[in-house]
Amino acid sequence: MTGSRRSALSRLTTLLRVRFYRRVSIGVAGVYMLLFMVALRDVSRGGTGIRFLTADWRRMFERTGAFTFEPIAQLVLPGVTVLLSPGNLLVGMVVAVLVGLNLAVTVLAFREPAACRFNRSAGVLASLPALLAGSACCAPVIVLLLGLQLSAVLVSAFQVLIPASVILLLITLKLVLDRTDVERIEVEGEAFPSGDIRGSGTSNATL
Amino acid sequence: MRRIFLLFCVMLTVFTADRLLTASGAKASQSLPLAETSYVLGDSVETYAAFMMSGGPPPDGIPSIDRPRFRDADRADLRPDDIVMGFHHNGEARAYPQKVMVWHEIVNDRVGGLNVAITYCPLTATAQGFKRGDTTLGVSGQLLNSNVVLFDRESGSRFSQIAAVGLDGRHRGRTLDEVNVVWTTWERWRAAFPETLVLSDETGHLRNYERDPYGSYTPRSGYYSQAGTIFPLMHSSDRHHEKEMVVGARTSDRSVYFVLSDLARARVQSTASFVAVYDPGLDAGHLYLRGDEDPEVLPRGNGMYELGGQVYAASDLPLTSAISVEAFFFAWYSFYPESEFVDEGGVAPGESVRGDLGR
Repeated sequence: MTGSRRSALSRLTTLLRVRFYRRVSIGVAGVYMLLFMVALRDVSRGGTGIRFLTADWRRMFERTGAFTFEPIAQLVLPGVTVLLSPGNLLVGMVVAVLVGLNLAVTVLAFREPAACRFNRSAGVLASLPALLAGSACCAPVIVLLLGLQLSAVLVSAFQVLIPASVILLLITLKLVLDRTDVERIEVEGEAFPSGDIRGSGTSNATL
Repeated sequence: MRRIFLLFCVMLTVFTADRLLTASGAKASQSLPLAETSYVLGDSVETYAAFMMSGGPPPDGIPSIDRPRFRDADRADLRPDDIVMGFHHNGEARAYPQKVMVWHEIVNDRVGGLNVAITYCPLTATAQGFKRGDTTLGVSGQLLNSNVVLFDRESGSRFSQIAAVGLDGRHRGRTLDEVNVVWTTWERWRAAFPETLVLSDETGHLRNYERDPYGSYTPRSGYYSQAGTIFPLMHSSDRHHEKEMVVGARTSDRSVYFVLSDLARARVQSTASFVAVYDPGLDAGHLYLRGDEDPEVLPRGNGMYELGGQVYAASDLPLTSAISVEAFFFAWYSFYPESEFVDEGGVAPGESVRGDLGR
């Protein structure tokens, strides 16, 4: 296996030099970030007029949950309210970038089966736990929506959904990349010249 | 001589330490007012403490409002049927909108010269007020029977809201000094107290106060009407729908609940130890102790009641009043399974009621 001689990071860098996969990563990360904010209720329905409110910036360090933090700014738009919490944005960006990279590799696996030998859905599944981490004061949102009953063990499990998601995403990314032969990605009908791909508009992966 | 001097020094040290400890204890007890008599408990404090569990947020993860701002009634951003928690003392009245309280659960306020903590648990629909002295109460992040556990920021002791009892720390086993808080609508509260002030949504924290994360009370939907509960309970019963609103009370040796909708129809209901009258103005129940006598309270017009030939308002009967607490049935039962109750006008014991609650 050619790929085993190169580090996962190197393979990832190689993959992201292709504009298509770069766009997939960024696009998926953006969508996931929005979903993450909705799950955390930092983006929610309700709001009249247009207002921008701020709170004491030191509140950004105050935790509202295991890995969630107080907002310090609020944008109210007609029908939508957006809370801006630097802590949540940072956590969300870390998870979103990992999801974006996982999805880029997953897309590669679908498009280039010869280049990747791994369960194609692993990266997608790993992205789910963090979306379940949103809580409504005393109870996780998903529990309220589904009318579930929680045990002490489940409550503890909900506390670690975000780090669990990050760890799962890192593991799946590493596993998939270790089993990916980036040199076999075809660019304009030719094999990938290892480490020699430019992010120019002329480099497009083919189906 | 030297030994006598050393012995004197030791005695002086012990005496001084004892005085200091006594003084600090006295100061502490002044900080958080506690009741002279405790409420009856459905289970021991040890059992409560062992059953307490995390709800998810860390201490103060649900931030209390410690510097509340208020608006005049005319400037309140409330609809007539919005739920408020009302408290009045010494000629001052306050309305705490449920849509704000659902995000904060505690307001450390001063009303009519009295320092109080108005507390609300969305999971159990309980609004209760406690004298707080010079300290403030916060949300611990723990739950007991799905009900918020408060903590005293001065001593660190945690308290069950519904049982009002200290679960650990210095105040373990002691009972908070409770005041009456009314669960009603803005329209009703304002009619009863036109000069009331209303808690502003300028809380110092940023939230979407237009959205209740649990559901809605206008009309009732989501968690507030669904059958079932989220967190484990020490006691449960299918006597009524879990989210049926009851009004309960407890003394040092007994407890009671009345189904609010039944009380509204009957206007007066009695158990062995308590009598309840319905206040149509506030859509609330007022509970009194029956005592040794058997007071015959008769409903009269305009929401008034007759007792001993005199006519009184529902809140002013010349009987020993009890602190009335409105709660979801499941919550009251989980703390007080031995409560007296009226078996009429509702669902017979043992009969199961499921599905969404329309009231």
